[in-house]
Amino acid sequence: MSGTRPRIFVTGLGAVTGFGAGVAALARGLRRGAPAISPVTTFDPGAHRTQLAGMAPLPPQREGDPAARLGRGERFAVQAAEEAIVHAGLGAAELTAAGVFFGSSNGGLLEGEAFFRRLRRRERRLGLRQVASHQNNGPGDAVARRFQCTGPVLTCSSACTSANMALAAALDALRAGECEVALAGGADALSEVTYAGFNALRAVDPGPSRPFRVDRAGLSMGEGAGVLLLETEAHARARGAVVLAELAGAGATCDAHHMSAPKDDALGPLHAMQRALDDAGESPSSVAFVNAHGTGTPHNDVVEARALRELFGERVADVPVTSTKSLVGHLLGACGGLEAVVCVLGLLYREVHPTGGDDPADPELGLDVVIGGVRRLAGARVALSNNLAFGGNNVTVVFRRAPHD
Amino acid sequence: MTTVVITGLGTIGGFGAGSEALAAALARGVAEVSELRDPAGYRDAGAVNAAALCRRNGEDLDLSPWLDPGRARRMSAPSRFAVAAARMALRDAGLPVERGPATRAVAMATTFGAGVFTERLLCEFLDSGPRTASPFLFTDCVASAPAGQIAIDLQATGPNVTVVQREAGPLLALIEGAREVASGRSDVVLAGHVDEIGTLVHAVLGKLGALCAPDEDGMIRPRPFGRTRRGFLAGEGSTVVVLERVADARARGARVLAKIIAHARAFDPTAPRADWGRGGAVLASMLRARLARLGLTPGDLDAVVSGASGSVRGDSLEAEVLRGLFGANMPPVFAPKAVTGEYGGGNLAAALVLLGGASCAQVTAPDMLDPALGIALHDGGLPARARRVLVSSLASGGAAAWVVLEKP
Repeated sequence: MSGTRPRIFVTGLGAVTGFGAGVAALARGLRRGAPAISPVTTFDPGAHRTQLAGMAPLPPQREGDPAARLGRGERFAVQAAEEAIVHAGLGAAELTAAGVFFGSSNGGLLEGEAFFRRLRRRERRLGLRQVASHQNNGPGDAVARRFQCTGPVLTCSSACTSANMALAAALDALRAGECEVALAGGADALSEVTYAGFNALRAVDPGPSRPFRVDRAGLSMGEGAGVLLLETEAHARARGAVVLAELAGAGATCDAHHMSAPKDDALGPLHAMQRALDDAGESPSSVAFVNAHGTGTPHNDVVEARALRELFGERVADVPVTSTKSLVGHLLGACGGLEAVVCVLGLLYREVHPTGGDDPADPELGLDVVIGGVRRLAGARVALSNNLAFGGNNVTVVFRRAPHD
Repeated sequence: MTTVVITGLGTIGGFGAGSEALAAALARGVAEVSELRDPAGYRDAGAVNAAALCRRNGEDLDLSPWLDPGRARRMSAPSRFAVAAARMALRDAGLPVERGPATRAVAMATTFGAGVFTERLLCEFLDSGPRTASPFLFTDCVASAPAGQIAIDLQATGPNVTVVQREAGPLLALIEGAREVASGRSDVVLAGHVDEIGTLVHAVLGKLGALCAPDEDGMIRPRPFGRTRRGFLAGEGSTVVVLERVADARARGARVLAKIIAHARAFDPTAPRADWGRGGAVLASMLRARLARLGLTPGDLDAVVSGASGSVRGDSLEAEVLRGLFGANMPPVFAPKAVTGEYGGGNLAAALVLLGGASCAQVTAPDMLDPALGIALHDGGLPARARRVLVSSLASGGAAAWVVLEKP
């Protein structure tokens, strides 16, 4: 329950996705509902089982820009964070004590692969600076360094739940008064070895992914970043910030079952959603829509659907469910950050974007999957965002519409 | 604020397995190192070729008292280390391996993850093409694999988080775990750190100039805060602690190793990506402010278990922070990474072992200390009246974390 804890507001959004740089491009793409899944460009995908992914554009390099020395994932992170800061109208002085809570699963693996190739070829110029960004803390650290933040900095690397974990950690730190402002989200760049790994698991659809469909055949991989600027209510009110939404709660569990397969009983994701709603002081009946993990892998969608049916009971047929991953690909450790941005947009505009593809949902899943166009939701107040990951991790975050109306 | 206590410790490293092995190594004040072979030729000619590895006489440490060998064969080294350390910690806490009604969560940190598996995956991929990538290697390559394996092994169905924040990882994971227990969301948290030092990781550290070279006698003595320090000793292993609310620990009559009475986190934005920065004054003021908010002054701290490792810039930053915090009233300072090596969480384990009465021999002789740093290392155990220990960890890249542990 929220009790007397400070409320935590979202006052800025930033994103880099296959739809382009920025939240405006994301919002346009989501409304259009056409997947931004295209041929992989950062490596030759010809030898792989599949060749598509949600490729995000690198921000343009300016001469003398320190960002030019960063890795691809770090650049996504810095660009999305900068957009969130500008959106929130925060000045540099207000960021000094800010915290940075980031999720990343790949970090600078793309640059690490290039380094390893050069090392094996015995090249003289190895690019040690690049390998220094190989670690998963690279994107979050780059954000803290770029904006001169001296508050707590934490990178969560819990595979596909990394960014939702980071949001949960930021929520804890802000509620505890450890910082008043935090940048929270995730960033990941597609790497070839990760692309090969998911293909080795037969988890990638050769075409754009079709979550919750009868013939779903796997996920589409993606890359990019999604960042929220979070503030305590007191801080936001004191500076007259425009509140976009409230990060109201978080809940996490682990299946403790298998490294790469979710447990059939779906209790892990169910309990994560229940904990998140309890933390937010909300009940399933208040949920207006769900941004599902929705990868499109046959088994994952079955388990997530089962958890949603258990959570909502008979009401499940009236709760719109969507999958952002079907439009921009699976951003791995960053997906929770991006899907948080999407949830806030959904609450702001009271609409849910369609899941990619036109064919109907798998009736056996029993979900109201949003397909074919934007769904308007008058009165939408609460949104759930689910992420499930390797190792059986399940993390849900809850957003509440801004309290001004 | 709910008090969180540490009731169990599991630790594995170059010193062996268990807190007694660690205490013995600290008393000797010298690290046990093993040669790291480099068949692929990653290392530069003449580079450091040894590290504090989980090996004895050329053989891997025997983890069978904690981990079934059949199960161990299906895990990467970090997963093996972490699961064994977690089981050791539970046993030390007097808790059953089998899950009871208590909700168990996991908060682990790692710096490099499964480096050897990642290297194997990359080699398979480069030599034979991407379609040969092994699903098994891939799933155990993710940073969170050890935490996931702990959860599977111990049926820990609570939150499961993996922190990647280099040298600050062990304390950041401890802080996340303590928050989880204090919030009441979980009853028991297994928190700690794991790292594996494979040849590739070691070679890269060498190329970055981060490693301490051996002395003429072949021993590697990193000499934290020393004037001739040139780098750290890389170490692998895992340290896992059991966290509980003090009321729960008392109710079951558990032995308490330490109370966690304060923690702080900060970031030094002057740090380059692969080294330490020069923002010691800011870090010290952040730490001081955080302690004040929790009702503590530097004078309340009786000793420091420093994260100094022999790194040129890291130790300078650590000294600047400690001088900024304590001024002329510096309490006894220990630097156990000279024995445990950097990575693997040995520093956190050493802090608990020292609180339990162990001694740490002088790891940098007084005449070898860097006078510019103004830090003298303590020789022996904690002073008799010492109750509160500041554990410090400053990471290359900028992250910083501190925890204050109190003797029960």
